[in-house]
Amino acid sequence: MGSSLTIKGGVLLVAVFLVLKFGLPLFTAPLPMSLIWLYLFLTTIGIVVFGTLSGHSTEALLGPIFRFLSGEGIGGATKFARVAVLVLFPLLVGWQTYSGLVPSSEPPSENRTIHPAPPGEFVGLANPVANTPENVMQGKGFFSAFCSPCHGAKFNGNGPASDGFNPPPANFVDAGTIAQLQESYLFWRIKKGGVGLPVEGHPWKSAMPRWEVELSDDMIWKIIMAEYAGSGHKPRTWE
Amino acid sequence: MMMSHRHALLTVALVFSFGWLFVVPVFAEDVAVRVKLIQGEVPTDPLSADWNKAPSTEFPMSPQVHWQQRIGSVTVKSIKVRCLHNNKQIAFMLEYADPTQDPADAAALEFMVGEKKAHFAHGQPMAQVQGGPVNIWYWRNNTGAADMSAMGFGTLKKQAQQDIQAKGIWKDEKTKIKFKERKLSLRKDPKGELVKDPKTGDPVVDEETKVVEQEVTGVWRVVFTRTLTTTDKEDAQFQPGTFPNIAFAVWDGHKSDTGDLKESGSQKAVTSWWYFNAEPPADYSIYLYGLVAVVLAAGVEFVIIRKVQKGSPT
Ligand code: HEC
Repeated sequence: MGSSLTIKGGVLLVAVFLVLKFGLPLFTAPLPMSLIWLYLFLTTIGIVVFGTLSGHSTEALLGPIFRFLSGEGIGGATKFARVAVLVLFPLLVGWQTYSGLVPSSEPPSENRTIHPAPPGEFVGLANPVANTPENVMQGKGFFSAFCSPCHGAKFNGNGPASDGFNPPPANFVDAGTIAQLQESYLFWRIKKGGVGLPVEGHPWKSAMPRWEVELSDDMIWKIIMAEYAGSGHKPRTWE
Repeated sequence: MMMSHRHALLTVALVFSFGWLFVVPVFAEDVAVRVKLIQGEVPTDPLSADWNKAPSTEFPMSPQVHWQQRIGSVTVKSIKVRCLHNNKQIAFMLEYADPTQDPADAAALEFMVGEKKAHFAHGQPMAQVQGGPVNIWYWRNNTGAADMSAMGFGTLKKQAQQDIQAKGIWKDEKTKIKFKERKLSLRKDPKGELVKDPKTGDPVVDEETKVVEQEVTGVWRVVFTRTLTTTDKEDAQFQPGTFPNIAFAVWDGHKSDTGDLKESGSQKAVTSWWYFNAEPPADYSIYLYGLVAVVLAAGVEFVIIRKVQKGSPT
């Protein structure tokens, strides 16, 4: 009976950790480790506050932990585990301190936002060009002339000029690029290029050209239709 | 009540000291040039045996199709980069296959200058971010080294203060190159008719991508050297232990049958930004800090256990 609160608390912490660390990324972007620790910290406070409301529950929560630490009334495997924990703890602290201080030979981690918010004037624009077979065909012609060297003849980002660029040219067949975007967003990205991105999009490293210098709006809208037709996706709409 | 308070705090502290132990750093997957620290002079000669000490990193290159005066294909499809430093001087060696030695063969390194980010294409202006200039270290077979600056297309100029040295040696030795080759073909049915996509009516295109390994004769080795820091405000400055950006460009100065240069100006092989990291000198105090942490942790552990044993709630 006495140990049940400790175990419940432990199980709750592990469950919260698993959900935040592995469950959440199935639906959205993974949380940074620091945030996960903050949530676990709050959960722990909750458990401790709950457990220490009365003298009885205090004992139920902390008794087993303290018995383990003090070594009173335990034996066998638990005793062995206790010694192991007590020896390993300082060593781990030392190792963590060392590895935190040793200069990293890995580049800083890059948190580049792939689809940052577009400037206001590029929100909700409708494609003014009629979606006719001729227009789509024209768009495909422009695509193979201007875009396929990087984005590939098959719209998959595997063009002959794609290898030297980091980040690589977008793969439009992949469900994570234009399938998630509205035509208006593409219009912004194509017109303003990599250098049009906000700071979180890391504009300084994008090879995506600023096509407004070379192509008319009409051509860009036709290319957008061709990109969807060629990659087999539909633009995202508000409905 | 006092008692449970103290115990509550203790428990929170314990849980967190354990939690902190398992925070694993997240590493980026990016490739970086590892710059080894050596004793003595850095090699200025491309054939120096010292280069064997430097790890080599290979970067694929693209034909420049990002900006006008594009080029559809280039000779140099990848370069190997090695780098050494001795805390004062830094030396980069680029090694790449080029079947012919020509006066206009050229190579360049590019760096950001100062704290502001600069676009890899000559520091061209960015719409929402205020960018900085770039420093370009240029070498050409018939004219040698040039220390240059740019901030936007058409602004490239030689700096007043020249701080770099460069030396290239071409040898007609054999080397292996690896690159990706893509072949596109129209799909045909057994009768030789074009197959059309039932949805769009377009002919179906098949794409085959393979990694080709080829033996070629002719290798350039080009070494750039400079002091890690200079007095010139237009220069990139380097500190060991940091991760500055670096980009590469190569021109094959071979002439076509009509006598025109096939690659020149913005028609070249390029990369966008990568990183390099100059190894910092060994710092033995880190071991000391680790040891101090062990002793402190053991001490804290001892105090906690004593406290628990004395005031055990049972
Ligand atoms: C020099 C190579 C290059 C060429 C040529 C090029 N792009 Fe790109 N493009 C990129 C790169 C690299 C990215 C990824 C980085 C970024 O988002 O800026 C990209 C991203 C994009 C995106 C954003 C996709 C997303 O999911 O956010 C669109 C849309 C796009 N390109 C369309 C085009 C069109 C249309 C053309 C031809 C008119 C074209 N690109 C030509 C390199 C290129």
